Amino acid sequence: MSAMSALASPSAEPLLEIRNLTIRYREDDRQVTAARDISFALRRGGSLAIVGESGSGKSSVAGAILDFLGPTAEVTGSMLFEGQDIAGLAPAQRRQMLGWRIGAVFQDPFTALNPALRVGRQIAEPMVQHLGLPLPEALARAELALREMGIDRAAEVARAFPHQLSGGMKQRALIAAALACEPPLLILDEPTTALDVTVEAQILRLLSRLRREKGVSLLFISHNLSVVRRLCDDVAVMYASQLVELGEVHRVLERPAHPYSKGLLASRPPLAAASRGSRLAAIAGQMPTTAEPDAGCVFAPRCPFHEPRCSTGPQLLTITPDGHRVRCWKADALGPWPRQQVAAAAAPVFHRGDALVNVTQVSKTFDRSGGLTAWRLSVAGGRPLLYRSPKRVPAVNDVSFSISPGEVLGLVGESGCGKSTLGRLLLQLLRQSGGSVEFDGADLARLPAQALSPFRKQAQIVFQNVGSSLNPRLSVGEALDRPLALFRLAKPGDRTKRVEALLDMVRLPAAYRKRFPHQLSGGERQRVAIARALATEPRFIVCDEPVSALDVSVQATIVNLLADLRDAFGLSYLFISHDLAVVAQLSDRIAVMYRGRICEIGTAAEVLAPPHHPYTQMLLASAADDEPAPEPAAGMIAAATPGGCVFAARCPYTLGAVCDTTSPPLRPLTASHAIACHLDILPNAAVPPVFVHPDPQRAAI
Amino acid sequence: MAAYVAQRLGAVMVIMVAMSVLVFLATHALPSNAAALILGQYSTPETQAALEHKLGFDLPLPVQYWRWASHMLQGDMGQSFEMERPVAPILWDAFGRSAILAVGSMAVVSTLGLALGVIAAVWRGRWPDHAASIFTYFGVSLPEFYWGLVFILLFGSTFHLLPSSGYANLSDGLGGFIAHLVLPVATLTLTLLAHVTRLTRSSMMEALDSMYVKVARARGLPERLVILRHALRNALIPSITVLAQDFGFLIGGIVAVETVFAYPGLGRMLVGSLERQDLPMMQAAILVLTGVYCLANLAADLLYGVVNPRIRYGGSVG
Amino acid sequence: MAVRLAELTAAQFIRRRRRLPTSLVVGGTIVATLIVTAALAQWIAPYPYDEMHVRDRFQPPNLHYLAGTDEYGRDVFSRLLIGSQLSLALGATATLISMAVGVPLGLIAGYRRGVTDEAIMRVLDVMLAFPPIMLVLLILAVTPPSLLKTAIAIGVLAVAPIARVTRSVTLDLMSGEFMEAARARGERLHYMLLRELLPNVWPVLMVEASLRVVFAVLLGAVLSFLGFGVQPPAADWGLMISNGRAFVDTAPWISLAPGIAMSITVIAISLVGDGLREVLDPKVGR
Repeated sequence: MSAMSALASPSAEPLLEIRNLTIRYREDDRQVTAARDISFALRRGGSLAIVGESGSGKSSVAGAILDFLGPTAEVTGSMLFEGQDIAGLAPAQRRQMLGWRIGAVFQDPFTALNPALRVGRQIAEPMVQHLGLPLPEALARAELALREMGIDRAAEVARAFPHQLSGGMKQRALIAAALACEPPLLILDEPTTALDVTVEAQILRLLSRLRREKGVSLLFISHNLSVVRRLCDDVAVMYASQLVELGEVHRVLERPAHPYSKGLLASRPPLAAASRGSRLAAIAGQMPTTAEPDAGCVFAPRCPFHEPRCSTGPQLLTITPDGHRVRCWKADALGPWPRQQVAAAAAPVFHRGDALVNVTQVSKTFDRSGGLTAWRLSVAGGRPLLYRSPKRVPAVNDVSFSISPGEVLGLVGESGCGKSTLGRLLLQLLRQSGGSVEFDGADLARLPAQALSPFRKQAQIVFQNVGSSLNPRLSVGEALDRPLALFRLAKPGDRTKRVEALLDMVRLPAAYRKRFPHQLSGGERQRVAIARALATEPRFIVCDEPVSALDVSVQATIVNLLADLRDAFGLSYLFISHDLAVVAQLSDRIAVMYRGRICEIGTAAEVLAPPHHPYTQMLLASAADDEPAPEPAAGMIAAATPGGCVFAARCPYTLGAVCDTTSPPLRPLTASHAIACHLDILPNAAVPPVFVHPDPQRAAI
Repeated sequence: MAAYVAQRLGAVMVIMVAMSVLVFLATHALPSNAAALILGQYSTPETQAALEHKLGFDLPLPVQYWRWASHMLQGDMGQSFEMERPVAPILWDAFGRSAILAVGSMAVVSTLGLALGVIAAVWRGRWPDHAASIFTYFGVSLPEFYWGLVFILLFGSTFHLLPSSGYANLSDGLGGFIAHLVLPVATLTLTLLAHVTRLTRSSMMEALDSMYVKVARARGLPERLVILRHALRNALIPSITVLAQDFGFLIGGIVAVETVFAYPGLGRMLVGSLERQDLPMMQAAILVLTGVYCLANLAADLLYGVVNPRIRYGGSVG
Repeated sequence: MAVRLAELTAAQFIRRRRRLPTSLVVGGTIVATLIVTAALAQWIAPYPYDEMHVRDRFQPPNLHYLAGTDEYGRDVFSRLLIGSQLSLALGATATLISMAVGVPLGLIAGYRRGVTDEAIMRVLDVMLAFPPIMLVLLILAVTPPSLLKTAIAIGVLAVAPIARVTRSVTLDLMSGEFMEAARARGERLHYMLLRELLPNVWPVLMVEASLRVVFAVLLGAVLSFLGFGVQPPAADWGLMISNGRAFVDTAPWISLAPGIAMSITVIAISLVGDGLREVLDPKVGR
C-alpha cells in the first residue's frame, strides 16, 4: 500500500497533506523561490522520502512544516496535518503542536544538542512541556527512551553532556528526544549524512524498527537514494524547487520515469570493480540556482532526451492511474540514461618490482599535547600522584604497500581510521614516526630539504574540503600560475597559455581564470584544485576524499575526469574515500583500513568478492541494502586492547583471547590478495555463510 | 578538570614571579637618585654613598631582588621614602577603600551589564536594542575621568546633591559613607557597563542563532524557556571571561577616578608615589594591584572551568 | 571559519556594485574630515594654541572664541584643533607600533605551533597579566614622558591583544587545506606567511586596528590627565580636561569642550570599525 492510494481513496484521511506549497525567500533585494507548487500526501504509518541534491529545495519543505524558516520566508499553500491547516495556525498553537504531534531530527547532531545541558534533560523537556509530566518521571522515561534506542548504558548517557558522546550516540539521543511524546509524525532532515557508513546503517535499522513497533509515520529528507530504499514506502524527487517525480519507492528506484531520476540513479557507481575503460553515467552541467519553470522544463539543458518542445512552456505533472507522477511529457517513451564507455583498454599489468611509491612499515603517532596539560593529577588511593598521560594510540600503524606507475590504489575506511594521515605521510606533509616512504626508489626521509623539491613536483594532492582547499584571495589564474612559476615550468610569457591549457584539461572555460573561488560551485572548485595539482606535471596524486563533499551527480563527473586524466597522462593515484562504491569505480587495487591498520588489500575484484575481512564485510553490508551481521550493542566502541586486533571490539566473529592479544598479520590468500585476520577464511564451517550481495543498482536502468 | 586547575595554578605562579621581576627591574631603572631624594638637603656624595650602602643599593641586582621579594612575601613592604613610615599599613588602608569602590562597581556591572546585554539581544532590532546601542556607544567613547567631571558638575556643583570628593568613614554614619561613594562608583560603572553590555549582547545573539535553540523551538518549547534555559546558559559562559578582562580596566579606572574625586584609595596613592618617585610605595602598589588582577583572572578561569561542561566533565561516555 | 570570512571579503572586493553599510559611510566621512582638519590645523585655527589673551580669560563660547577661553585666555577651539593632531597621531602611531610587532608574532606563533608558539604565548600571558594601565605607567614612570614615549608605551601594551587575535585567525586559516596544498608544493616560510596567510588575515586585523586606535586615544587622554603623558603647555585634550578641573564650576567649557571633541572622534572611529565588521560578516551585530 502506498501513499498514493490515500489520494485514490479519499476516505482514508492522510496524516500529512501538502497542497501547492510554495516557499519564497527575500534575500537582499531579490526573491528566491526555494519550492514551487509542491503537493504530496503521507498516510498514517507510511513513510515518504523527499530526495534531491543540495539546492533542490527539499530542506525548505521540511522547514516550512516545522516553522523553521525565519521571517524572510514567504510560505503559501496549505499544509494539512491531521486535517488541520497548520499554516493558518497562530504561532502559539503551532508551537504547541511541534514536539508533541510532530517530531524532528536534523542533520548535524553536533550542533543540535545544547552543549550546556545534560542529554537526559533535553529529552525530558518536551515531555514536561507537552505531557505535563513532573521532571523526575520525565527523566526516567528519557532513560527508557535511550534504552529503546539501543543504548546500553542509558543511565550514564542520560546524565552525560553532549560533548561526551559520539556522533552516533548523539543522533540516537536526538531521535529519542523527537519521539519523546510519541508523535504520529517524525520528520528527518538528512539524519545520517554526517555519520559514518556503519553508524548510518545502525541508525537506519533503528528507525525501521521504531516504525514497525510504534507505527510512526516518517517524512525523510535525503540526497542518498540507497538509504531511502531501506526505509520508505514512497519517494518524491525534487529538482530546482520543483517536484519532478513521485511514486512508490521500488518503482522510482528500479524504473525511474523522469530523466533526472534516471540520471541520478545511473550516476551512482555500482558496488563492483570497474574496468579501466568504463565511466560513470553523469549529468552534465549543474542545477540552476534560479529556475524559470515558466520558460520550459528546468532540467532541459542537462537532459539527454531534450527536444525543442521541452523548452516551450511550463511542464506539468502527469498522473498515471496507479498514482505515479512525473513532470515529463516524454516519460513513457524514454529508454535508460545513456552510458559512456571509453574504448576498453587492456587491463594494465603492474609489476611489483617497479613501484613508484613504496611504503614500508610506516607508523605515525601524534605526540601528546605538550606542556602542563600532559600531566595528570590522580588522587586515587588517597595520595595525590602526578604522572604524564599515556601516549596516544598510533594513527597509522605498521602499514606497507606499493603503488606502481599508472596504478590506482584505493584506500577505504571510516572517519578516524587514519587514511588521511596516511595520504599526508606519503607526501611528507607529515613525518612518519617509524618506517619508510620511498618515491621512485629514493627514501624520502633521508633526502635533504633541497632534494625534496623535485619530489614535490612529481607528487601532488587534491583535498576533500572544497570550501577551503583554494585560497579565497587568489583568483583561479593566480592559483594555477603559482606552481608554474615556482617550478619554472613555463616562461613568464607562456604561463597564461599554460593556465588556459590546464583549465581545458579539467573542462573549465578559459574565462574562469579571472574568477575567485567563491564564485565557483563545489564541483568547479574541485576541478580547479585538480588543475592545480596537474600544473606541476606530477606522476602521482593523492586524492583525499575528493568527491565526498560533492553532490551525487557532480561526483560522477569528477570521478570520470580523474579516470580520463589517469589514462591521458599515465598518472598513479592513492584514492582515499569512505565510499566503497566510488573507490571501486576508479581503483585497480583496494586497501581497507581500520584504526590505523590495513585489514585487507587486493585487486578491486578480490576485495569486493568474498572471502572478506569482517570489517570489509561490514562496510559492504552497510553500503548495500541488506541486513548486515549483528554488531555488539550500540555505542560500545571500547578502545582496542594494546597488542590485540584493532577490530576485535566490533567484530562479530571474534575468536576470543587470540583476537584480543595478538594483532593478526596480513596473510596472503593469493599473489595479490591479503587479509589480516585470525579466522581461517578459507573453507571453514565456523564462519557464517560467505557474504554475497545481489546489487539491485546494477540492474539495467 | 583537575588537570585544568593544576595548569592554571601553575601558570599564575609563574606569571606572578615574572611580573614581580619586571616591576622590580623597571623601578630600579629609574634615573632618579633615590638616596638624594631621601637625604634632601643633607645630600652629599659621601652621605649618598653611605645611605645607598645602608639601603643595599650597591648590591648586585639579583640579590636586591631576592631581599625585596622575600620581604614582600613576609608582608614587609619597606619604608616610604617620602613619608618615612612603613608602607604596608598605609597601603592596606588605601587598598580597603579602593576595594569598596571596586566591589561596588563590579557588582553593578555584572548584574546590570549582563541583564542589559541579554535584553538587547532578545529584543534585537527593536527599541531596547537601539537604546542599548546608543548607550554603549556613548559609554565607550569617553574615558572615565570625563564622566567623573560631568557628574561632579551635574550632581556636585549644579544641583548640590552629592559630595564631589573625599571619603567618609562608615563609623561616621552610613549616609555620609554612601553619599561619598555614589559618584565614584557610578563613574567607574558607566564605562565598564557599556563594554559588558556589548559583549553579552553579541554572545547572547550567537546563542539565540544557534542550531540547538532552533531545535528547542522545533520541539515546541515556549520562548521564555528557550531563552532562559537554553540560550542564556551558553551565553553566560563567555561572559565570565569578559568580566575578568573588565576587572583589568577597572583597576585602570580606579586610578583615574580616585584622582578626579580625590578619593583616598590605592590608585591615588600610586599616582602620588609615581610623581614623587617614592620607590617602595610605588613597587608595593603596582605589585598589589597587579597581583589582585592575577588572582581575579585565576578566579575567573576556575569559575569558567566549573561552569563550562566541556572542561568540568572532560572525557567521554561510550 | 576564517576561510569563510576571508571569502566574504574577497566577495566584497570583487562585486563593484556594493552597498556600504551606513556606519562605514558616516564614520568614514567624519574620520576623513578629522584627519584633514588635523593636518591643516595650523592654518585653520583662528589663534595659535599658546597665545594668551589675558583680558579675555574665562570667556564663555562666543563669536570670537568658538569654544570660549581658558584660565590663561587661550582660545579653547584652536587648542582643540591642535589637540586633534596629538590625539590622532598618538592613536595612529601606537596602533602601527603594536601591529608591526604583534602581527608577525601572531603569524609565527600560529604557523609554527609547538615550542615557538608556547614560548610566545607565555610571554604574551605575562604582558596580559598586567592591568592595562599598570604596564603603561611602569614604562612611563621610568623615563621622562613625551608624545612619542606615550605612543610607544601604549603600542607595547597593545602588542599582546593584537598578537593573540592574529594567532587565533592564523590557527583558523591553517586548518584550511590551501595551506597544505602550498606546503605540498614545497613553498617556503616567507611565501606562506606573506602571500597565503597575510592576505586572509588583513580583514580581521582592520577591524581590530580600529578598536586599538580608539583604545589608544582614550588611554592617552587618561595618561595626560594624570600627568604622565604630554606635558603642558601642549594642547592635548586630556591635559586640557585636567587643567579645567579646577574651574569646572565657573568655566565648565574648558573641560567639556575637549570631551565633546574626543567623543566625536572616538565614536567616528568606532563606527568605521563596526562598518568594517559588517562588511566582513553581515550577520554579526545585527
